[in-house]
Amino acid sequence: MATTVETTFRERLTRQPGPATKWLGVLLVLVALQFGAVMQTIMSTVPWGTIGGALPATAPWAALAGVGDALADLPTLLARDVIPNQGYQVPGEGWQGTFMGLSPAAAWGIRVSLVYLYSFGFVGWLGYGYLVFRRHYRAADWTPYDDMLGRLDGHRWGQFGLVVVLMFIVMALFAPTLGPTTVQSNIAEPFSHELQYFDENAGEVTTILVGEANLQSVSKGGGGRNVGPMQYDRYDRFHPFGTLPSGKDLFTFMVAGARVSLFIGLLYISLAAGLAVVLALVTAYYKGLADLTVVIAGDSVQALPQLLVLILLSFVLSDTWIAGIYNGGLLLALIFAITGWPYLWRAVRGPALQVSNEEWIDAAKSFGQRPVTTMRKHMLPYVVGYLLIYASLSLGGAIIGVAGLSFLGLGVNPPTPEWGRAVSAGQPYVATASWHISLIPGIMVVIIVTAFNALGDGIRDAVDPQSEAGSNEVAAGGGGA
Amino acid sequence: MTRWRYFARRLVLSIPILIFGTTATFWIIRAGPIDPAAAIIGPDGDQQAYQRIRDQLGLDEPLWQQYIDYMVGMFTGDFGQSWVLNPDTSTIVLLQQYAPRTMWLGFWSVLIALFIGIPLGFYAGLNPNSWSDYVASFGGIVWRAMPNFWLAVILVSLLSQSQQLFGFSWQEWIVNVNVVTAPPLDNLGDPQELLRAIKWTLPAAIVLGSSSMGNEMRIGRTAVLETKNSNYVEAAKARGIPGRSLVWKHVFRNALVPLVPIITGEAFLLIGGSVLVETVFAINGLGYLFFDATINGDLPLVGTLMFVFILLIVIINIVQDLMYTLIDPRVGYEGGDS
Amino acid sequence: MSAEAPLLAVENLRTEFYTDKETVRAVDDVNFRIERGETLGIVGESGSGKSVTARSIMGLVESPGNVLPESSIRLDGEELTEKSESEYRGIRGSEVTMVFQDPLTSLNPVYTVGNQLKETLRLHRDLDGQTLTDTAIGLLEDVGIPDAARRISEYPHEFSGGMQQRAVIALALACDPELLICDEPTTALDVTIQAQILELLAEIQVERDIGIMFITHDMGVIAEVADRVAVMYAGEIVESAPVRSLYSDPAHPYTNGLLDSIPGNQPGGRELTTIEGEVPIPNGAATHCRFAPRCPKAFEECYELAPEPLPTTAGKDDHTAACLLFPEDMKREDAVDEHRAANTEGTDE
Repeated sequence: MATTVETTFRERLTRQPGPATKWLGVLLVLVALQFGAVMQTIMSTVPWGTIGGALPATAPWAALAGVGDALADLPTLLARDVIPNQGYQVPGEGWQGTFMGLSPAAAWGIRVSLVYLYSFGFVGWLGYGYLVFRRHYRAADWTPYDDMLGRLDGHRWGQFGLVVVLMFIVMALFAPTLGPTTVQSNIAEPFSHELQYFDENAGEVTTILVGEANLQSVSKGGGGRNVGPMQYDRYDRFHPFGTLPSGKDLFTFMVAGARVSLFIGLLYISLAAGLAVVLALVTAYYKGLADLTVVIAGDSVQALPQLLVLILLSFVLSDTWIAGIYNGGLLLALIFAITGWPYLWRAVRGPALQVSNEEWIDAAKSFGQRPVTTMRKHMLPYVVGYLLIYASLSLGGAIIGVAGLSFLGLGVNPPTPEWGRAVSAGQPYVATASWHISLIPGIMVVIIVTAFNALGDGIRDAVDPQSEAGSNEVAAGGGGA
Repeated sequence: MTRWRYFARRLVLSIPILIFGTTATFWIIRAGPIDPAAAIIGPDGDQQAYQRIRDQLGLDEPLWQQYIDYMVGMFTGDFGQSWVLNPDTSTIVLLQQYAPRTMWLGFWSVLIALFIGIPLGFYAGLNPNSWSDYVASFGGIVWRAMPNFWLAVILVSLLSQSQQLFGFSWQEWIVNVNVVTAPPLDNLGDPQELLRAIKWTLPAAIVLGSSSMGNEMRIGRTAVLETKNSNYVEAAKARGIPGRSLVWKHVFRNALVPLVPIITGEAFLLIGGSVLVETVFAINGLGYLFFDATINGDLPLVGTLMFVFILLIVIINIVQDLMYTLIDPRVGYEGGDS
Repeated sequence: MSAEAPLLAVENLRTEFYTDKETVRAVDDVNFRIERGETLGIVGESGSGKSVTARSIMGLVESPGNVLPESSIRLDGEELTEKSESEYRGIRGSEVTMVFQDPLTSLNPVYTVGNQLKETLRLHRDLDGQTLTDTAIGLLEDVGIPDAARRISEYPHEFSGGMQQRAVIALALACDPELLICDEPTTALDVTIQAQILELLAEIQVERDIGIMFITHDMGVIAEVADRVAVMYAGEIVESAPVRSLYSDPAHPYTNGLLDSIPGNQPGGRELTTIEGEVPIPNGAATHCRFAPRCPKAFEECYELAPEPLPTTAGKDDHTAACLLFPEDMKREDAVDEHRAANTEGTDE
């Protein structure tokens, strides 16, 4: 129904409050779930937290805790303490200390499933909210975005990308909850944490330092020195992805690494995309010398081999204060942004130039609209879609690049988990029983990078169904890592 | 002619790019926090020796003076000597020692990518939505998403233990070669040695060419698909042009246009990827040398290598423009400055 | 009616396209013929099935499209629908060829105009060497391209729009066809250039005695070029008449609508009007008049019975309309019965 009378959003809302109320109702349910979980977290004893809190925080860890906790605070709704998966098995009595006496594997599985169910519920709620808004409260009957979403509707490949990317983001956001154990207790400070297990020789429950236990559950090929995927070690700890050669839990390592990769990738993309869009709009609007200057600057930056500059800069700056922030993550994101913006800029320059030649831009100029307003209102919306395409492709590239650097021992400082370091650690054991150490991180990279590429393809087909694969994809691959 | 003017313009534009790249390198290595004198002298050098070295290298001169010396040196071919890795050896000599292995590796990786990627992509584009298309497309997508270093690690392990794992010994197959380390390249005239060198390089070349191959396959497919459905191909059909001529003359040449940047873009991937691939395969080539020089703070060597790489990229960009100019007559016609 | 077979005879042409969701019948039971030296204009809105008709004749309908087996397309008495792809290739170009709407995109951008011209000449006329070049230059001169000897080595993008379309026509002539299909050949051009191209086509037709099928949505252009006109709507020919008769005495309400929507063409002070709504997308055989929902004169039966092409007045066989209001010299009930009778006859066949 097309209404000719202009109404405000508030008016439309009061006229038909039903759908919005329903939508808010769903939110309440979601919050209630979260609230219960948060309450329980507060009520119950927090073993990891109190132990961790008592420890003197080292400099890089304080930084991580700062950024990481800020991220982690919100999603503790399905706290690991609600469904604990760490326990010990006393013969004849079953599992002690785990959720409802289930096996650690089952408890962990339930927690992971709940996290994902909750997350997808939340995403579904957001999508539902948009649909409610579109159907009942939006002033316009139709906008070009409806067509874009419509095109994405039948795009299986793009949808696959979107789902996997969402799963990856959930993995990064909920990293502390998803791991069978925590980074703090298992990877960063194993000798400051302890665990209980049932000692068969002694016939009683014994306490041991996590670090000591790790030494007894290493994965170094065969001969009893391997804890593979979906296996328990001798301390009744469950390892979904097996252990590292150091005996640390690979799954915990991976989810924490996902957070690091995503943080670097997103920061890089936001910086580079911001720069790229501003430059593209300005050069497309003014053309001439401004355009030529940026062309030369962009070409110059692109003439520097990206990966080599990354290696060089991460090494050169490795002892400076900036490398200490977020364990070198900030530095990496900055270097990526400085070396990577021309790729994004090239991707949006074409569309920006195209739109700048449209008559409505001339019209806007002729009645004296301020340049900034013209760029923002008339050019930016057209360019954003293209930016998203290449942002998605470049994110995949950044993940490969970061992994490649940490494989070489550069970039993110140890012991902060990073996927490339796991590949490097597992290198001697690829053809042995401990194949999982190198293989799983690699396969994860392949799946996630493929998903980002698929998402990029999907966005491309949605934004511009006429266009096909562009040349910028080469560079989006992480500079050869 | 417009397109040759376009080409000339690109040629002129490459000069500021070269200067900028070299300048950036200088500021990264010289103005950064690395103290080359400390790197040379090691952790237990005394203060006197340290100062002597600083004087010797001119490190106490004003930075702009050093910058001018550096730039003049680079552009006149005076690249200086290695400080740490191979003291008192000209960086050019080191380059000459390490370059052939990288060039050999790069040559084969380009060749493999070109001769597998493009034909597969074109084939998939000519037979869209067939099973072979799905296999090729999906394979290309996954292949391209594989990190080089990981692929290298897996391949090295599988090949070195192929006897235990598959009952087939890669090392002994046809000619006896190692999986890692660089092949000897001094006797390529001998067919047996040539074969050995090729087989030796093949695994590393496949890894290094992997993402390019995936790209070429993908872009080749969409380019062929797009060209095949273009108006001029339909118009040519309406004139009764036979199928063979349609494909080879009208489809392929146009489909090559979007492939040009992909092919030349391989250079970027090769230069970056060589560091990781050479490290895993223990090939002492340029990438390996660069990494070694970087982590040892051998600044003149790093500077020279960077300069050579930038020069290489600029040259490849020029080749790319030349290829565009030759293949696509429309180049430089409408604005054409991208 | 001459005893000799017409140049092109299209009967019962039905072309369908298959998508994931539905079957679209883009052309539904189309019949027409074109004689040598004659120009048939096909006119209709976009989506009316004009271009698909042309592509069906050219054998260029590709999967997921399909020319249904009951269709018949006879060129010089030769049935085309039964030809294999390789046999068709011999006919395309040599006997029938096509000029497309956008001249720039119908020329291969990476080859010179001369290259493409010579390729076609070599194929159809078996020429080579200097004769080949001379013939190519001659063709460019024939279509009015000045300085042809120099321009032959230029690329398509170096030509202006009008010159590009002339080059495209030269390419078509290089085939030496009997029948030339022009699919909106002037739509992308300026009005002055448009007139020149139309003139060129007229000259060519006189010189070479070829049949032309001219597709356009522009009633003004049709008036200039066509001898006879077929008006298409939603895959069907709704009216067919000699050009003079169509303009002086339009029958079908849709044709009237088209004529009324030409600015400055409103006889007797009628207002400039538009036809409300859009062309429907037919999914199968017609069950009623497809124009009825947009028709100002529609009555009850229009929604129940599919009209057949019948003479507009008794005995006027060369002017037919598929509309229940005709033949106009009959009473409405009788006319409806006439259509119903023709309809059952059609199904029996």
